[in-house]
Amino acid sequence: MTSFPSSSPQAYEIRVSGHLDARWATRFDGMTLTPTDGGITAIRGVLADQAALHGVLRQLRDAGLPLISVLPLDTRSPS
Amino acid sequence: MTGPLITTKFHVPARRTSSVSRPRLTERLAVGARLVLVAAPAGFGKTSTLTEWLATLGDDTAVAWVSLDERDDDENQFWLYVLSALDRALPGVGTAALDLLSSGTSTVEAVLATLINDLDAHDAEAVLVLDDLHAVDNPAIHAGLGFLVEGLPANVRLVVATRTDPPLSLARLRARGELVELRAADLRFTPDEASRYLNETMGLTVDDDDVKALGDRTEGWIAAIQLAALSLQGRDDAAAFIAGFAGDDRYVVDYLIEEVLQRQDEAVRTFLVETSILSRLTGDLCDAVTGTTGGGGILESLDRANLFLVPLDDRREWYRYHHLFGEMLRARLLDERPERVGELHRRASEWLERDGQTAEAIGHALDGGAYERAAVLILAAMRTMQQHRQEATLVQWLEQLPREVVRATPGLSVGFAGVLLSSGRTDGVEALLNDAEDAVGGDAESIRAVRAGVALYRAAQALTRGDLDTAFRQSATAVELADGGGHIDRGSATGLHGLVLWARGDLVAAEASWATSLDSLYRAGHRSDMIGGSIAMADILLARGRLRDARDVYARGLEVAAEIDPARRGAADMYIGMSEVLREQGDLEGARRQLAAAEGLGEYAGMPQSRHRRRMAAAGLAQAEGDPASAVALLEDAERLYTPDFFPEVRPISALRARMLLAAGRVADATEWVRRRGVAIGDDLSYLREYDHVTLARVLLATGRVDDATRLLERLRDTAEEGKRGGSVLETLVLTSLAHQRAGRTDAALTTLRSAVALAEPEGYLRVFADEGEPMGRLLAALTKRDGSTPYLRRLQTATVGARIPQASRQGLIDPLSDRELDVLRLLGSDLGGPEIARELVISLNTLRTHTKNVYAKLGVTSRREAVRRAAELGLLTSR
Repeated sequence: MTSFPSSSPQAYEIRVSGHLDARWATRFDGMTLTPTDGGITAIRGVLADQAALHGVLRQLRDAGLPLISVLPLDTRSPS
Repeated sequence: MTGPLITTKFHVPARRTSSVSRPRLTERLAVGARLVLVAAPAGFGKTSTLTEWLATLGDDTAVAWVSLDERDDDENQFWLYVLSALDRALPGVGTAALDLLSSGTSTVEAVLATLINDLDAHDAEAVLVLDDLHAVDNPAIHAGLGFLVEGLPANVRLVVATRTDPPLSLARLRARGELVELRAADLRFTPDEASRYLNETMGLTVDDDDVKALGDRTEGWIAAIQLAALSLQGRDDAAAFIAGFAGDDRYVVDYLIEEVLQRQDEAVRTFLVETSILSRLTGDLCDAVTGTTGGGGILESLDRANLFLVPLDDRREWYRYHHLFGEMLRARLLDERPERVGELHRRASEWLERDGQTAEAIGHALDGGAYERAAVLILAAMRTMQQHRQEATLVQWLEQLPREVVRATPGLSVGFAGVLLSSGRTDGVEALLNDAEDAVGGDAESIRAVRAGVALYRAAQALTRGDLDTAFRQSATAVELADGGGHIDRGSATGLHGLVLWARGDLVAAEASWATSLDSLYRAGHRSDMIGGSIAMADILLARGRLRDARDVYARGLEVAAEIDPARRGAADMYIGMSEVLREQGDLEGARRQLAAAEGLGEYAGMPQSRHRRRMAAAGLAQAEGDPASAVALLEDAERLYTPDFFPEVRPISALRARMLLAAGRVADATEWVRRRGVAIGDDLSYLREYDHVTLARVLLATGRVDDATRLLERLRDTAEEGKRGGSVLETLVLTSLAHQRAGRTDAALTTLRSAVALAEPEGYLRVFADEGEPMGRLLAALTKRDGSTPYLRRLQTATVGARIPQASRQGLIDPLSDRELDVLRLLGSDLGGPEIARELVISLNTLRTHTKNVYAKLGVTSRREAVRRAAELGLLTSR
C-alpha cells in the first residue's frame, strides 16, 4: 500500500467531460491535456501538494467543466 | 474600508426579457423555510431563477442582496456587506450590529446576536440573498453563517446561490424540513422549457427532434443552450448546425463560445478579450484598458444583443461578464496575448485608483505583477484598513508581494509585522522587523516612525511570550521614539509600556505611563481605546489602595463614553468598575444601580472581558448581601465566559471563587482549590501571584492553621509594602488582626487593626472589614472600647454586624449552638488548652466540660479535632 503524503509533489490524472482546446494548456501550467474516447479529456501532470490540487479543481469548477475523476498516478509508469 | 461600499454589490438583478418563466421552480421556492440553497455549477440559471422568484414576492417582503466575490473572503468585509445590505432593506436593523462590527473589539457572535435581535424586533418579512457564496472559503465566515442560520427569526429567510455546497449542517436542516434546495437536476431546462426558449423567446424555428438533440448534447445546461441559440440566430441551417454540434466531442462551452465569437468583428473580439480581466466593466474603464474609445457603445450593443453581459445597476452604467464567458475570455487572453496581460492590469489599476476604488486597484496591480505599484497603494491604504480591522485582506495582499519589494519599503515591513501580530500570527514577524531596521532610511521622520513601529511590535511580541525584560526595554524605546510622533503613536507606546510595567509589578511607573496614554488617546480622538485603557488605570489604582482616584477614573470614563454615544462600548465596563468601588465603600444600593446600568446595556455592550467582570462584581455584591452561595454560582458562570486580554491576571476568577467558597462555609472545596492551583506557603512571592497567596492565607485561617497564616501574611505584607500596593497592605493587615484574635493575642490583634483602620479611613474602605463578619465585629467593638468611638468606626461596626443574618439560622444544624457554645467552639479551634480556654471565657473547668459535651453532641462528633473540622465545614468559624 503506497502512502500519499499530502505535502509533497504527486502526479495526478483528472478526467473531465468534453474535449478541451489546446489553449486550455496555458491555464493548467505544466499539465498535459489528452482527449480520450467518450468525449473525455485527461489532464495529467505533477502538482506540488493538496493546495495545488484544490486550486486546479477550483478552476475546473469555475469553468463549468464536469469533473469525472481524480486519480493519483504512479510516477514510475505514467500511462 | 478603502473607498466607499461598492453599491453594485447590493443591486438586485433585474428580470431579463430573454428568460423563460419557470413556475415549477418558483413554486418550490415559495415554501417557507429557514434556508434556501440553490447549488449548481456556473451557467445553470441560479441567479435568474432567484430573480424570477423575488419578483413574485409582494411589496411587504424586503429583499437584501449581496453579490459576493473573492474579496469578500475576509470576515470583516463579508459581514460589513451583509449587514449593510440588511440595513438598506430594513432601515435601522443593521445599525447596532454595524457599530459593534466597526468597533473591532467584539466577536462575530456578538455582532450577529445583536443583528438577530433587531431582525426579530423588526417583525417584517425579509429575504437575505447571498449570490456566489462559493467565493468565500474562510471557515470562520461559514461558522458565522451557521450561527446566523440557527438564530434567524421566523420572518427572515436566508437564500444562498453557490457552485459548491456550503458547510452549513445541511443534512440536519434537511431532516428538520428547514431547507429548500434547488440543484442542477432541478435547474436544467426540460425539453419543453428548451423549446419555449428557442422558439418563443429567441424567435427561432427549431423542431422537436432538434430540440431533443440539443438537449441531449448540452444535458439541459442553460448556458450552453443560450449560446447555441445565439449561434443559431440569423442561420438558415439550424438543423445542420445542431447536427454538427451534437456530433462533436468538444467541450460544449468552448465550441459554442468559439462560434459566437467568430461572428463578431475583430474590434469587438479584441475588446472582449482584453476587458475580460475586469470583474466590473464601465465604458470609461474599458477605454482606459483597451487604449481605445467607444467602449461604452460596445457595451451597450452587447447588452442589447444579450451577449454575455449582466447589468449591475438600473442605469446601464456598470456590467459584468457572465461567469463562464468571462472564464473563457480570460483563457483566450492568456493563450493569444500573454504579453499584454501585465499592461492591461496596470491600466485598470490606474483607472480604479483615480476612481477611488483602492482595493480593486490593488487587486489588479497584484494580478498584473506590478508589485512596486501595489506596494505603494497598499502602504497608503494600510492605516485605514487596520482601523477597520481588515487585517485578513492586508495579509492576503502582502503575502503576494515578492519579499524584495516588501524589504525595500520599511514602512511595509513594519506594517506587515503589525498586521500579522493583530491576526494572532508570529511567523515571520521577527524577520520582517529585521528587514525594516536594515532598510530604514530617508528623512528623520520616516526613520523615527519605522524605528518606533519596530520597537512597539518587538515589545508586543515579547509581552505575549512572557519575556518581560525584553518587553520593558523595547516598550521604553517605543515611548522615547513616540515623542516626535502624533497622539496615537504616543498613546499606543505608553499604553503598552504601562502594561509591561504593571506586569513587572512597578505600579508607580505603570500609573504614570497609563496617565500619559489615556491623555494621548483622548486627544487622538480614540475614545473607545481611552476607555479601555481606563480599566487598566483603575485596576492599578485599586492595587495601590487609591479607591477614590479609581472612582474618578471610572467617572471620567463614563463622561467620555457619553460624549460619543450613550450606549457606546466601554460604558458598561465603567459601570462595572464603579459598582465595585461603591461596593467596597459600603454603598450597596449604589453598587446595585451601577451593575443594573451595565446589565441594561446588554450582554455584548462592553469589552469582551466585561462579561466575566460583571459576574465577578455581582458575586461580590451577593456575598456582601449575605448570599455566598449565589456568589459561587455567579463565579462559575464567570469562569465559563472568561476571555483573556493583554492585562496581567491579577485577580484570577478561581481565587475569588475560593474566597466565596470560604464565605459559604465550603472549606473543603476551598482547600481543594489550594491543591489544584498549586499554591503553598513556601512559594516565592510575586505581584502576579499575590491574590492567590492572600487567598491561601484565608484558607489557612479557615482551617485553623493560624501560625502558618500569620507568617505568610507577614511576608505578603512586606512585599506589598515594597511594591507600594496599598490595597494588598490593607487586606493583609485585616487578616493578620483576625489571625492574632484566633490565637488569643488580643493586644496584637487590636494594634494591627488600628493600623488597618488608619490606612482605610481616608479612602473610605468598608467591606474589607465588613466581609469578615462576626469575628471582625467583635474586634471592632474591642477597638472602640479601647480607643473610643469615631463615626468611621461606627459605620464599620454597623456594616459588619448589621447585614448578617443571626448566627443560629445559618448554622445548618438541627439544634443550633448557643452563643456561649460558639465561643467555646471558636477557642477549641485555637492552640489553647482546656484550662486556658476556661480562663479566657471566665468560666470554671466543669462548665467548660459541659459546654464542650453539648457542642460535640450538636455537631455529631467525638473529638476536639473533629469538632473543629465540622465547624469549619459548616462555616461556624466564619472567615473568608
